[in-house]
Amino acid sequence: MPRRMRTPVTSLAVLAVLSLAACGGGDADPAAFPEEDITFVVPFSAGGPTDTVTRLIAEPMSEELGQQIIVQNVEGAGGTVAAGQVAGEDGDGYQVLMHHIGMSTAPALYPDLEYSPLEDFKTIGLVTDVPMTIVARDDFEPETLEDLVTYVGDNADTVTLANAGIGAASQLCGLLFEEAVGVDLTEVPYDGTGPALTDLVGGQVDFMCDQTTNTTGQILSGDIKGYAVTTPEPVEALPDLPTTADAGLPELEVGVWHGLYVPADTPDEIVEKLTAALQVALTDQNVIDQMADLGTTPVTEDEATPDAHTAKLEEQIDLWTPIIEDAGVSGE
Amino acid sequence: MDGILLGLEVALQPSNILICLLGVTLGTAVGVLPGIGPTATVALLLPITFSFDPVASLIMLAGIYYGAQYGGSTTAILLNLPGESSAVVTALDGHQMAKQGRAGPALATAALGSFFAGTVATVLVALFAPPLASAALKFGPADYFSIVVLGLLASIALASGSAVKALAMIVLGLLLGTIGQDGFTGVPRFTFGVREMYGGLDFVSLAVGLFGLAEIIRNLEHRINPSLVTKKVEGLWLTKEDFRRIRMPVLRGTTMGSLLGVLPGGGHVLASFTSYSLEKRISKNPEQFGRGAIEGVAAPESANNAAAQTSFIPLLTLGLPAHPVMALLVGAFIIQGIQPGPDVIETEPELFWGLIASFWIGNLLLVMLNLPLIGLWVRMLSVPYSVLFPAIIAFASIGCYSLGLNSWDVFAVAAAGLLGYFLIRWGCEAAPLLLGFVLGPLLEENLRRAMIISRGDPSVFVTRPISATLLALALIIVVAALLPSVRQKREVVFSGEDD
Amino acid sequence: MSTSPAAPGDHAGRLGGERSGPSLPDLMAGATFVAFGLAFAIGGSQYDVGTALRMGSGYVPIALGGLLTFLGLVIVVASFRGVDPTVANADRGPIPWQRMGLLVGAIMFFGFTVGGLGLGPSLLVTTFLAALAGHGTRPGRAAVIAIGLTALCLGVFVFALQLRLPILGDWLGG
Repeated sequence: MPRRMRTPVTSLAVLAVLSLAACGGGDADPAAFPEEDITFVVPFSAGGPTDTVTRLIAEPMSEELGQQIIVQNVEGAGGTVAAGQVAGEDGDGYQVLMHHIGMSTAPALYPDLEYSPLEDFKTIGLVTDVPMTIVARDDFEPETLEDLVTYVGDNADTVTLANAGIGAASQLCGLLFEEAVGVDLTEVPYDGTGPALTDLVGGQVDFMCDQTTNTTGQILSGDIKGYAVTTPEPVEALPDLPTTADAGLPELEVGVWHGLYVPADTPDEIVEKLTAALQVALTDQNVIDQMADLGTTPVTEDEATPDAHTAKLEEQIDLWTPIIEDAGVSGE
Repeated sequence: MDGILLGLEVALQPSNILICLLGVTLGTAVGVLPGIGPTATVALLLPITFSFDPVASLIMLAGIYYGAQYGGSTTAILLNLPGESSAVVTALDGHQMAKQGRAGPALATAALGSFFAGTVATVLVALFAPPLASAALKFGPADYFSIVVLGLLASIALASGSAVKALAMIVLGLLLGTIGQDGFTGVPRFTFGVREMYGGLDFVSLAVGLFGLAEIIRNLEHRINPSLVTKKVEGLWLTKEDFRRIRMPVLRGTTMGSLLGVLPGGGHVLASFTSYSLEKRISKNPEQFGRGAIEGVAAPESANNAAAQTSFIPLLTLGLPAHPVMALLVGAFIIQGIQPGPDVIETEPELFWGLIASFWIGNLLLVMLNLPLIGLWVRMLSVPYSVLFPAIIAFASIGCYSLGLNSWDVFAVAAAGLLGYFLIRWGCEAAPLLLGFVLGPLLEENLRRAMIISRGDPSVFVTRPISATLLALALIIVVAALLPSVRQKREVVFSGEDD
Repeated sequence: MSTSPAAPGDHAGRLGGERSGPSLPDLMAGATFVAFGLAFAIGGSQYDVGTALRMGSGYVPIALGGLLTFLGLVIVVASFRGVDPTVANADRGPIPWQRMGLLVGAIMFFGFTVGGLGLGPSLLVTTFLAALAGHGTRPGRAAVIAIGLTALCLGVFVFALQLRLPILGDWLGG
């Protein structure tokens, strides 16, 4: 077999858009950073929302830093495999972790985690806060969020709440919904958002909460019914949906926030360079436009900083730990 | 029809043809590497497509996908190394044909069957995508459970030996499929505290071990260094007799694959082996299956390609990905600034129809690319076995490791190889185990989901018409298998064909 | 089927002649299924079984483990009734323990060392061990095969496919 590979492989090599990976380089001078390719580790599959956001910002960041950025998908166990991998890397700035809200829920979901989100990482800055939407099958009875709250209160035994699996943003949002309304519903877990939405469109389950990145198309086409967005501000792509606060459920405020991390022993000088590149990327018009298509926006410059990011991480760990423990959900 | 014309206009632009050709070539080249299946191929090559405009990049991705599937079938036939579930079935008879010096006809059958199925399915997608999609949405968890049960029982026919052993292998596969984190409770099952195992065993590792490694060990049983091919290579092209034999299997495979592919909850995995089982069941010579029956290559390859095509229907009409490759495509849509969803047909007609037309053109290019290459592939089998098998080991190890950078995926190859070698030696065939493994999670998840939705009432499985029909079919299969006359015939068949 | 000659007197299909005792392959296959069935059922009973409405993590493994144990027992019982014709006719040589050990060792070595040694050295040893398993392959020839294959794999995976696999790993200070 190998011998016959020559022709196609040559064309592959010609086409390859990324340059050769070099290895190691632990004792590099921080002032000279970056001298080689940088890897962004994404804890979820290629093509998913987190991967998409990463690839969007990687391009302008790469231009700003003057080096290639390679996106690597390391899936598994709610993103803890990827985070564990980056935590164990040299703090040289060449391995950067992109992670979302799951960074703050991992300690509660996985009690014997081998790393600490706060102690084993330095934060670079927040990237975006993807709004979530509360959606239902199109023939579900309640017409507004208020109706929905009353309806699930009266029919807690029969209503089904779908989610995309353990630790998924949709599950967290669902838990927060149950807590805000004060009901205990029957949850129907799926292996990912795609299958969950399929059954929602098909009318097999009643409602769920998921990111705009996944639901905007189906809401606009009328295949599913949207009740509200879970952010303080309305979402441009979905002008008809009120915010949860306006619709009478202010406790339900949640977004899938994303941020960049490096190992804790990374010099501050490198962190500053990465933060500066991130801030430039977030003002890139192409990034803004494409994020708008996804139903989200880049964070402001104040938030794309290590301080704001660390504060967000601490606040979120405090928020989710008791909710997850109360719900008895555990990854261990 | 205007749509198709528009699509052809888009897809036939020279630059798009070139891009499609590039995608098909790259997909084939990477897909033939042992240990790298279509999903891995698409994931590896995805970034290359980001530099093109939306239509071009999606055409290229579709090309990569088909190329990867065909490349995977090539490896399955030549080296007995399936890279995804559908190729497992192709390997059964395809590799036997290769050993008998008929690798050429096997590869040609795969290419022609795929092309025919692809053509028919493309027309189906163009004409009936919306109604097919809404029909598929009628399938709920209970119905999926029942179709999986039906598929599993039908897959007993994949084995040529004892039915009880085949059933036991299916159940063992189902059990291996439960390894990993339970999506309902979050509890990690049978992972021994290894977080890398939370995602479960990797299909490619298991397939490479059970088929590839087990076969290598088996070949080393004999004192003489075996050449892979035991008979003289008889010719690269199909004989008239071959054409006659594959005609109906291709048609039936295409029909079955087209229908199953539309189901968003994993119907495409059922396509290749249900069509194989069907062919074996209605064949006048079922004892030839598993021993190099050309029908056993034609039917599943057609079914698989038809299903690959129609599995785009949920994605294109509803924006819902049916399997991991589709999810990758959704990502590509989004990167290109297109929100996949029901509106794509209206808002991006050029893209929608261009993509559909390029499915067909991709299949055409695939045939044109691969038929001349058959001779080359077949000659590969003349590489001395003492070089070939270490190469397989090397490629398979890297392939399994590279996707997740996970050493456990490599260890799984070794374990699966040992398990497979001994079980096959003891008369248990590996294919039913792999099918059980693929379908296990679908079976368990849909069972549990259906019970949650029905609030613990098991009668949903018989009160929902789709589910009830499927279970009735399953019952018929079981009864047929248990009828004494059938059983007797089966035994006669197997004891009466000593070499 | 293969036409290579089987080793005389070592027909895998039978134990001690035509009619005396159980069919060894069937017995072993059945015993393997029983072992796996019990392992999964017992392992599964550590997890919550749940109810029919909300099945716990143990429900399905216990049920399937029980089923597999049962099927394994059926095969064991049947093994005393005669030889499965499909196995008895199979043309098999003796189990190649040494070669099997080399192959499995080669793959395990790769899994253990690819991260630490890096792709190059790890693959070199792996292909060398694997090549040694071939009939009549002497160390010299195995080394040639190993060097050739390693170069080829590095070319395909690292240079052409751009996989992020270091050629030299941390253990070697790379």
